[in-house]
Amino acid sequence: MKTLIAAFLMLLLAGIPTPAPAQAPGEIAAIPKECAGPGATEVQDPYLPNVAAALRDRKKIVILAIGSTSATTRGPVRGGYYAIVERILEKAFKPLDVVIIHRGVSGELAADAAGRIKTEIALTKADLVLWQVGTADALAHVPIYEFRNTVTAQIRWLKEHKVDVILVGLRYAASLANDPNYVGLRNIIADIARDEKVIRLRRYDAEQALSKLNRDTTEGFDFAQNSEASSICTAEYIARAIAAGLFIKKAPARPGAPPGPPAN
Amino acid sequence: MKREANAIDFWRGFALITIFINHIPGIVFDKFTSKNFSLSDSAELFVFLAGWSLRLIVGRDDNPKPMPQIASRLGGRALTLYAAHMMIGMIAIAILASASILLDNPLLLEWHNAAAVFFDPVNTHIGMALLSHQLGYFDILPLYVALMIFAPLVAAIDRCLPRLLLPVSIAIYLTALCVPITIPTWPTEGQWFFNPLCWQLVFVLGFVMARPSGIGGFVRRHIRPIRWLALPIVIGGALMVIYDVYPDPLTMPEPKLLFIVGKTFVTPIRLIQFLALVAVFSVAYGYIRKLAAPLVEPISMLGRNSLEVFCVGSILSLLGQVARFQTGGGYGIDTALVAAGVAIMFLTAWLAEGPERLKAPAASRTAA
Repeated sequence: MKTLIAAFLMLLLAGIPTPAPAQAPGEIAAIPKECAGPGATEVQDPYLPNVAAALRDRKKIVILAIGSTSATTRGPVRGGYYAIVERILEKAFKPLDVVIIHRGVSGELAADAAGRIKTEIALTKADLVLWQVGTADALAHVPIYEFRNTVTAQIRWLKEHKVDVILVGLRYAASLANDPNYVGLRNIIADIARDEKVIRLRRYDAEQALSKLNRDTTEGFDFAQNSEASSICTAEYIARAIAAGLFIKKAPARPGAPPGPPAN
Repeated sequence: MKREANAIDFWRGFALITIFINHIPGIVFDKFTSKNFSLSDSAELFVFLAGWSLRLIVGRDDNPKPMPQIASRLGGRALTLYAAHMMIGMIAIAILASASILLDNPLLLEWHNAAAVFFDPVNTHIGMALLSHQLGYFDILPLYVALMIFAPLVAAIDRCLPRLLLPVSIAIYLTALCVPITIPTWPTEGQWFFNPLCWQLVFVLGFVMARPSGIGGFVRRHIRPIRWLALPIVIGGALMVIYDVYPDPLTMPEPKLLFIVGKTFVTPIRLIQFLALVAVFSVAYGYIRKLAAPLVEPISMLGRNSLEVFCVGSILSLLGQVARFQTGGGYGIDTALVAAGVAIMFLTAWLAEGPERLKAPAASRTAA
């Protein structure tokens, strides 16, 4: 597993220093195969108009990362895996300046985060909110209707104020795979993303696939390693979702169109 | 000798029970605590009463205690608070680690900002010792430590230039709001949940209001009209919370923090509502003594031993969260959790007063 992560990190980091990588501007290298979980990204409307406007007008996008899931990576990486998102985007869209402001608190409920999002948006003037949502609420058994109302109201407020949103869904834990409350909340997040037409990153699915891969290929299984690997993959998905959101033109919705990854 | 029950200890005890309940997210009783009817919550009350207690340490105007004695006592208090914070932080981490193993759920390692402790332990342990990494719900003691470190300065300004204390405090507060200035966390990027540059004003207000002269004296002399002025603010605040009507931060003019509601910066709207609440409820203690006398002494006992009770209450809240996670909560479980938790908090306070109780009969025998 260590080898796998090391190889993966090298793959990610190798292209950062000059000389410039062999990829066209606005194009991100293929997603690492470890992260190629089935349907990791669910897209109802990939276009991120406010991020695109920020790129066009300012060559700078400000992203507010908030929510309940840790962004910590092992080692001295300031900004956790969001730093990886910054690197991927800045490398792909030179001379784009990507600023990710991390205001997430691991374990924070959606209702508490929602209260802070408005203030943080006002202070940071962010163009996009990356909201890791649901895990803490599921663990605290927050009533599902309350959760739905909270998240929906917040997404609508953000849209009204010209701020794009990407939801990052629940984390995976084998012991919760059949927990009705956990499964219920997962489904609600999917419903919210579909109803409100926002991008949802299915971290649960990606982490589950990664977990299976690791169990199959390594003798020992370490949650910290798996969590870090899934965090790095999440960074890859986020970067791709944003990249896709920048360039896909808004088109009329096609009824019954199947969801699919926004990039690759 | 044990203090008689009084309003300060009573309200501090009340705040401790409220904090215990509020720190179990999702629990049904959370809906009945003051935060559901008030823009401010028990955190303001706790910090305000800490400032009020500082007045007792400083001494009366006609019989002030020597400054070295005050500084020594406050420094000792800061150390005690720091040690208590470290202790409960380590216990919390152990609880999360144990729960994740016993319940086969590694996600519990990420509760309450604990993820960095497990995934980046080298940096995070340094951060915990420096108070730059704080666990969620375990973040008010660092504020207390900071306030106690600066409390000798507060006492010194009050002694030498009493009229300057509140303006200086307000100036720091407004600067922190207008710039805005935050205290960053490390290694996890973020900011202190309780911004000490803003919360110091709540502390200083408690200290200033406790003084029989000056502003404190003015408020005491005019408390009746002040209560009538405060009542609409309290009602308005309650309506804002109940109907979820808050100023939209993006439509507010700059500097936005002056006009919005936020706990981290204890913004003016929240602070004014809190002061109004204090004015209105300052009349309540006398009635509570008359109408619910049996409650006054036990709740005051919690307040007299606030640090011990707060520490135990924080740990109990975390255990309550784990229990709710495992059981799913509900009225029965939640009632049992609150009943058991409050009972253990009372037991803690009772045990903490054990030495005083033992001294009292010995003193009586000596006197006889």
